[in-house]
Amino acid sequence: MAGGPQKLKFWSRITIVLRSYGVLIGLVLIIVIASIMEPTFLTANNVLNMLRQASVIGIVSLGVTFVMMTGGMDLSVGAIVSLCSVVAIRMMNTYGQTGGSSALTLVVVALIAAIGFLIGLVNGSIITSINGRLGETFIITYGMQIVVASLALLYSGGQFITGTFTDGLYQQLGTGLFPIFLFLAIALVMHAVLTYTTFGKQICFIGANMECARMSGIKVRLLRTITYGICGMTAALSAIVVTSRVFSASPLQGNGYELEAIAAVVVGGTSQSGGNGGIVNTIIGVLVLSVLGNALNVVGVDANAQLLVRGGIIIVAVALDMWNKKTAQRMATI
Amino acid sequence: MNRYALEMRDITKLFPGVRALDSVSFTVSPGEVHALVGENGAGKSTLMNILSGVFQPDSGSIIIDGKERVFKGTKDAESCGISLIHQEFNLVNSLSVAENIYLGYLHTHKGGFVDWKYVRESASKLIQDLGFNFSVRQRVEDLSIAEKQLVEIAKALSVNAQIIGMDEPTSSLTQKEIDKLFTIINRLREQGITVIYISHKLEEVFSISDTITVLRDGQIIDTKATKDTSNAELIAKMVGRPVDMNYPQRSSKVQDEVVLEADNISCASYVKDVSFTLHKGEILGIAGLVGSGRTELVEAIFGARPLQGGSLLVHGKKVNIGNTSQGKACSIGLVTEDRKETGLALHYSITDNIVISNLPRVSKKGVYSRAMAQKSAAQSVKDLGIRTPSTKQSVINLSGGNQQKVVLAKWLFSDVDILIMDEPTRGIDVGAKYEIYLLMNSLVAQGKSIIMISSELPEVLGMSDRVMVINKGRKKGELAADEMHAEGVMRMALL
Repeated sequence: MAGGPQKLKFWSRITIVLRSYGVLIGLVLIIVIASIMEPTFLTANNVLNMLRQASVIGIVSLGVTFVMMTGGMDLSVGAIVSLCSVVAIRMMNTYGQTGGSSALTLVVVALIAAIGFLIGLVNGSIITSINGRLGETFIITYGMQIVVASLALLYSGGQFITGTFTDGLYQQLGTGLFPIFLFLAIALVMHAVLTYTTFGKQICFIGANMECARMSGIKVRLLRTITYGICGMTAALSAIVVTSRVFSASPLQGNGYELEAIAAVVVGGTSQSGGNGGIVNTIIGVLVLSVLGNALNVVGVDANAQLLVRGGIIIVAVALDMWNKKTAQRMATI
Repeated sequence: MNRYALEMRDITKLFPGVRALDSVSFTVSPGEVHALVGENGAGKSTLMNILSGVFQPDSGSIIIDGKERVFKGTKDAESCGISLIHQEFNLVNSLSVAENIYLGYLHTHKGGFVDWKYVRESASKLIQDLGFNFSVRQRVEDLSIAEKQLVEIAKALSVNAQIIGMDEPTSSLTQKEIDKLFTIINRLREQGITVIYISHKLEEVFSISDTITVLRDGQIIDTKATKDTSNAELIAKMVGRPVDMNYPQRSSKVQDEVVLEADNISCASYVKDVSFTLHKGEILGIAGLVGSGRTELVEAIFGARPLQGGSLLVHGKKVNIGNTSQGKACSIGLVTEDRKETGLALHYSITDNIVISNLPRVSKKGVYSRAMAQKSAAQSVKDLGIRTPSTKQSVINLSGGNQQKVVLAKWLFSDVDILIMDEPTRGIDVGAKYEIYLLMNSLVAQGKSIIMISSELPEVLGMSDRVMVINKGRKKGELAADEMHAEGVMRMALL
């Protein structure tokens, strides 16, 4: 029995390391294996391309992280991307024919962000007015997804819109290093907000125990509503990046984005019940999913089989989250 | 034939870092009501969990009716006639009483279909044998807490339990319901069934038990016949030192200044036209039965429930409190009755839980300072004597008493003038209770005012300057310090 306590210490230390860095270790493993199997994986070209792609879903995921930190869910972000895409490109096409003015891009970006924010506020107001829990946030934002998707189709007449404007700045937003910087910049700001401001602290506390937050005099309704607004706004910004990248807009552009974003947040380790996780987790989650997708592509795995792996990863992430909670609980009862 | 219905010999249970039970030997005679008392963490629950097969002991043996038994799970214990009724009921709310009683053991016809007639009749009989008469077809969610408890007992009897453990069975019962429960327990005793009764409330233990065993720090301190011991002796044994159970003396005086005035306030169907005043430096006690509207009353004052009528004046000024943040802005704080559900974020640190109600105090221009928060929390931990290795500790790891102190620390950190405490000492041990009383005294000495709700009459009488009694949502009366006595308050609360 002499070695007993020592052994326990060792294993619990391993557990703690796995709990804190498990996903990160997974990410490094995927990179190492992929680069051994296929040397082109780590070329600058491939890496940049991968990160550009990651930044689109990445930006959406950042907002979703905020909502999930409060113990909620937002299924409407994909539709918001679609609507904002067609609105943005049509606005640019209408007013951006003369060329040369970056001011127009800035105005459009601000307007689109405002549209996303407003849709999010509507989500948040409805959810908080019925004091909705996780289940209700699912259904309400799903309803909003359908409404907004329909608006995108109506607005565009169901048509694909090709970019015809000449404004240079807008076109740059989705190319080169720009989207990657944009993703990191937004992530940095949101990380700072979540960890270093009283607003962020309260958001986390709401997720940890909403009723306790209310009973502690926190403006739960207001803060939750704003969170959904922020989530809508990041979805809108993502629409700018993606439309700039492809220089066109489809009314179905954001289809399925919400699930990819949620998957990234969950894989990163932000708990679905709220209060645990954060922006850094989500960045790692986004990287895991996009690196994995790219690696499977590069090493030549069949596209249909790739889905199998992606689905598996998400299920494992949720299972790990539950396991984490269980061990945390067990440690607590001791 | 056997002297003992149950014998537990040299039971030891280790949890990493803690010796939860240290060679505990414990015997119970058939047909007796055996009370198990001790502070939180003394090992009562662990012992019951071992008896009911939830935990397995590291060493020691369990002997039932002269035969040694090993329980690998709760089913094993159940088949030996042992049932444990937990504080939180193990019932399915959406099913009927009969279904709950026979859950998992539904009697079937030969074809495999449930024999409802048999199930209902035998369930009815069990309920009637316990001296009650209600339909076993009604759903459990429509029952009162006392009736739910009855269903639990019937369920235990349905599997022929000979030993029934009850863990804090009266914690959410009214006095009337407690009396009913005691009638049932007496009936069980007559039927030769052994009851192990765990409770914090010594008065109950004295009125129902035959024998009392005191546990402390995982060891049996003493077992005595109830008639041979006294309140003072038990408390001394529970805490290991003689404690002056009198409430601490207060030297400060209530001041004339009125800090809070409620004028005919109402809240939905819970509270009707209640008026009262609260003075600076005063502890106003609120007595009343569970469900009398006392919790709803204070929640409405704090802003957690909408006020439907009447007005509130804070420091003589009429205020409109529509939500909790406005309540806090009026310098009102509420220590809720359920610290685990509404008082704390259990998985968050002590620091996070303390500073949450007043983040601006640890922030500069909206930027949160972890260092300032850590420092303030450390100060609170020191001031309130919260026992923890670090302020970074999750509150879930603390004992009930220390958790309650964290909830208090939260509101003290907000520096509220009016502190409302709903059941501030529920489920915490004697030592921690006393510390909370001392803290309340020092708060009123600083010129704060306290409203305290408590189901424990001695506590209300011992701590309050004045007592207001609530009955069915209405104010039934108010008693000053010199006219307070238990029977008077009880009469107002009941009639």
